[in-house]
Amino acid sequence: MNGISGFFQSVVSREGIIAVVVAVVLSIVIALLNKKKGRHMSTKTVVAIGVGAALYAALSAISIPVGPNTSFRIAIALLPIFGAFFGPTAGFLIGFIGHALNDAFMYGNVWWSWVFLSAMMGLFGGFVCFDKKFDPLNGICTKVHIGLMYLWSIIGMFVGSVIAYLGDVYLYSEPTEKLFVQITLANISNLVVIAVIGIPAVILIAKSKAKNQGLKKDL
Amino acid sequence: MSKSGSLYIERESLFHGLDGSIKLLMLIAWTGFAFAFMDARVFLGMILVGLGILKLSKLPAKAIWPLFAFIFVFTLFNSIFLLLITPEYGSKLAGSYTGIVTLGFYSITLETIFYCITLSLKYIAIMPITILFIFTTHPSNFASSLNRIGVPYRVAYAVNIALRYIPDVKTEVDNIINAQEARGVAFRKGDAGLATRLKNYATVMVPLLLSSFNRIEVVSNAMDLRGFGKSKRRTWYHRKNYTGMDLAFAALSFAVLAAGVAIKIMVGSVYWYPFSL
Repeated sequence: MNGISGFFQSVVSREGIIAVVVAVVLSIVIALLNKKKGRHMSTKTVVAIGVGAALYAALSAISIPVGPNTSFRIAIALLPIFGAFFGPTAGFLIGFIGHALNDAFMYGNVWWSWVFLSAMMGLFGGFVCFDKKFDPLNGICTKVHIGLMYLWSIIGMFVGSVIAYLGDVYLYSEPTEKLFVQITLANISNLVVIAVIGIPAVILIAKSKAKNQGLKKDL
Repeated sequence: MSKSGSLYIERESLFHGLDGSIKLLMLIAWTGFAFAFMDARVFLGMILVGLGILKLSKLPAKAIWPLFAFIFVFTLFNSIFLLLITPEYGSKLAGSYTGIVTLGFYSITLETIFYCITLSLKYIAIMPITILFIFTTHPSNFASSLNRIGVPYRVAYAVNIALRYIPDVKTEVDNIINAQEARGVAFRKGDAGLATRLKNYATVMVPLLLSSFNRIEVVSNAMDLRGFGKSKRRTWYHRKNYTGMDLAFAALSFAVLAAGVAIKIMVGSVYWYPFSL
């Protein structure tokens, strides 16, 4: 019995350190992002976060179950969309607030580790805005931007999964084998939702906002 | 859910009188304390204390039991899933092996079942204070209490906006889905295959986004006109000064959180199993 508790102590401390390091790195990244802008969030971003989180909570009601406690959630598509339109800070907070509020109001219990999966997908979905030329509200969204959106979404999913995994193992004490199954299922369904609904929606809106579509100069 | 998008229920009780930020602090401390353990005795104690607190808060049982029913179903599914995938995980933790059901190389052990019970109790133990917070905190108090424990006021205000617009956005989603269904777009099980239904939701997303962007534009213009975000700090209409009771509960929360963290650091996450040899 002693040996086993010793083994668990060592695991907890080692992985605990990893978890803390991940959290610190992320907060530094977020702090740098805010500092780079050199100013506070604009009113528009504040409202976008609020309405985005409300949308996330409202759309969470629509889900098609695919596995044990896992389902297609249409709401996931909102994260890369709002990230692309309003930037990484908005994406992060929409995922965080939307997921936490929805969990608290629907279930009376918040799964904090999975809240971070949503938040990370929003954060990384917003990184496509680093390219200053990207401007879907004015119809500018090239093929390179579309590729970048897919790439960032996948990276975001990966980082979010690592956090959800660490959180579930070291805070909720779930076994690792079960989490692999759950995270794989969740990531596949999230990827499908993003690929089928999320990124096509950005492209459609960009197309509909494109200027001078049908006009030609008369010579 | 009321028009304000919150579940607040008006009552006269000790916990309704507490400041929202104190209840949020209690929520954090309680959750942190539960995270530090993997011990069924502790969780049972927490559930009893939590139920006592809910009793004191005079919330109607009718409002609370659906949430408890949900968590029971959730933990049940979770446990079945655990038993299917890791039937011997509990034995690894407890260090003893007592098989109950054996089908070839797949066998469920008594230890795993006990582990599932402990884990389910952990999920249930976290619940009561979350329920207390969302049912006894007035929505206008929600944002100010977030701000009071250190969340920047712009973020706190965004939470407020989210709460305010959840019902409106829900109505809008329903309207768009009904409109698309009237045009023959399939959303229901049996009307079309999974892939088609999923694709059809894209036809909901675009109009929903465009109307939401309009809403964002209108609301942010209105807020800008009223000078939102001009000052570094913000005052809140519903904020009250802390009372003695508030401070007492704050001290209690800090003590509980400190105890949880201390135990986690000193002892590690010890799993309690009563029947080992």
